[in-house]
Amino acid sequence: MSGHALDAQLSLRVGRGDESFLVEAELALESGVLVLFGPSGAGKSLTLQALAGLVSPQRGWIRVNGDVLLDHERRIDVPAHRRRIGYVPQQQSLLPFCDVAANVAFGLARKERRRGNPRVQALLEEFNLSDLARARPDSLSGGERQRVALARALAVEPRLLLLDEPFASIDHAARATLHQVLKATLDHHGTPAVFVTHDPEEAATLGDTVACLERGRTIATGSPAALLPGGQTVLVRGTSAEMVGRVSNGRVQIRVQSAVVEGPASLLNESQGRELELELRARSSEPARKRSPDEEAE
Amino acid sequence: MNAIDSFPILLSLRVAALAMLIAVPLGIALAWLQARRRYPLRRLVDAFILLPLVLPPSVVGFFLVVLLGRRGALGQWLERFFDVTLVFSPGAAVVASCAVALPMLVKTAQPAIEAVPAELEKVGRSLGLGPLALFFRVTLPAAWRGVLAAIVLAFARGIGEFGATLMFAGNIPGRTNTMPLEIYAAYQAGADARAALYVAVLTLISLAVVLVASQLAPKQEAR
Repeated sequence: MSGHALDAQLSLRVGRGDESFLVEAELALESGVLVLFGPSGAGKSLTLQALAGLVSPQRGWIRVNGDVLLDHERRIDVPAHRRRIGYVPQQQSLLPFCDVAANVAFGLARKERRRGNPRVQALLEEFNLSDLARARPDSLSGGERQRVALARALAVEPRLLLLDEPFASIDHAARATLHQVLKATLDHHGTPAVFVTHDPEEAATLGDTVACLERGRTIATGSPAALLPGGQTVLVRGTSAEMVGRVSNGRVQIRVQSAVVEGPASLLNESQGRELELELRARSSEPARKRSPDEEAE
Repeated sequence: MNAIDSFPILLSLRVAALAMLIAVPLGIALAWLQARRRYPLRRLVDAFILLPLVLPPSVVGFFLVVLLGRRGALGQWLERFFDVTLVFSPGAAVVASCAVALPMLVKTAQPAIEAVPAELEKVGRSLGLGPLALFFRVTLPAAWRGVLAAIVLAFARGIGEFGATLMFAGNIPGRTNTMPLEIYAAYQAGADARAALYVAVLTLISLAVVLVASQLAPKQEAR
């Protein structure tokens, strides 16, 4: 499995007390951008922070480019500052006491932090920030700030870049430009990335692979085209109780007890009191996992 | 009125400054610990930090004598191994000043450190900063206004220390007679003019401190 940009399986507890639930995230990315897609409160941010080593999962493992960063069974847990994983949060995260150039250079070694370091200059240019090099963060627009945050994360040449809804508080028009800038830079630097969003449009624009997270579960992973349009994913959960019969060609029928079906309101609301027929297509070939990440078409 | 005796003024400044040498690093470390770490007995530690602030200074002085006096556990140890006798020395005044300045410093610096956005520290860690570098390059610079205000307030509290100093360091002219002690002694002796001089000096220092601290504090939030 080595050679993959990212392979991870994590169990994380979100929230406290009665409100808490367990997030089971299963992530794989060969190269490019993996979008973690799902509604807010699904545990996307926490999953991302666990990848960075900023929160500790209950259990699991993380491999980046074949290097093991976390493995509970082998008691490996590389601390955040040694993981070389870039992190760009949604909130403004620039250091208020540093100007733009100093922010971009912040993660570099002391000698490289001096003014006029060509690497920093090149990044400032790449993100169209050269004219703002001496500006203070509080004088920047939201889009400019996130460009600085991106440049800063890339300056240390991370092996993986994590982006937690970095453009969520930026207006629509500016966001389109930022998407282009981000795509171009990730291509240019060849840095694989995990991008968290709840915006399907953004997910489709940026994602090479999309993992859908819903209330703590990775319910599907695939190409954006297959998963995103209209959010039609339907989830069926229950206990397989008994074999009803064999149909043909190695197909069987089983009865699922206390099944709960979860999906778009537009589809399921109308079905109340009526017979419901869903067509499920299995994605996972692991029979041991009692999950059915599926698609639906009426 | 005789020539002004500047010894109590200089002694007070020296005592408070030396107390700060201990209180600042220790206080900032404690403020960080209380602001950023969750550990068992954290509340108890919090209570102990706060104690000298709420106890009468005479009680603090009593504890210092019991702990660091010639028969105190730590006092005996200091005398045996370092040949140092703290009680009734300028050093005792430094310790007393430190004991009351420390809680002030911790309790003022702690909210400033708590107010540093977690995102800044998370990004700092992802950029490769270890715990120490993170503190000195992210947390402290982001909280510097509040921390400086805490230091200034603690200095004022330390220079004005009276009760604990009297009990632990005594009032020995030319040795431990800091301004607050001198004010009391002069007043008792009916030398009101002399007392008024030190009162004026201490009032001016405190006024300056409060002004500086209020300049530093409010901008903390408008980040």
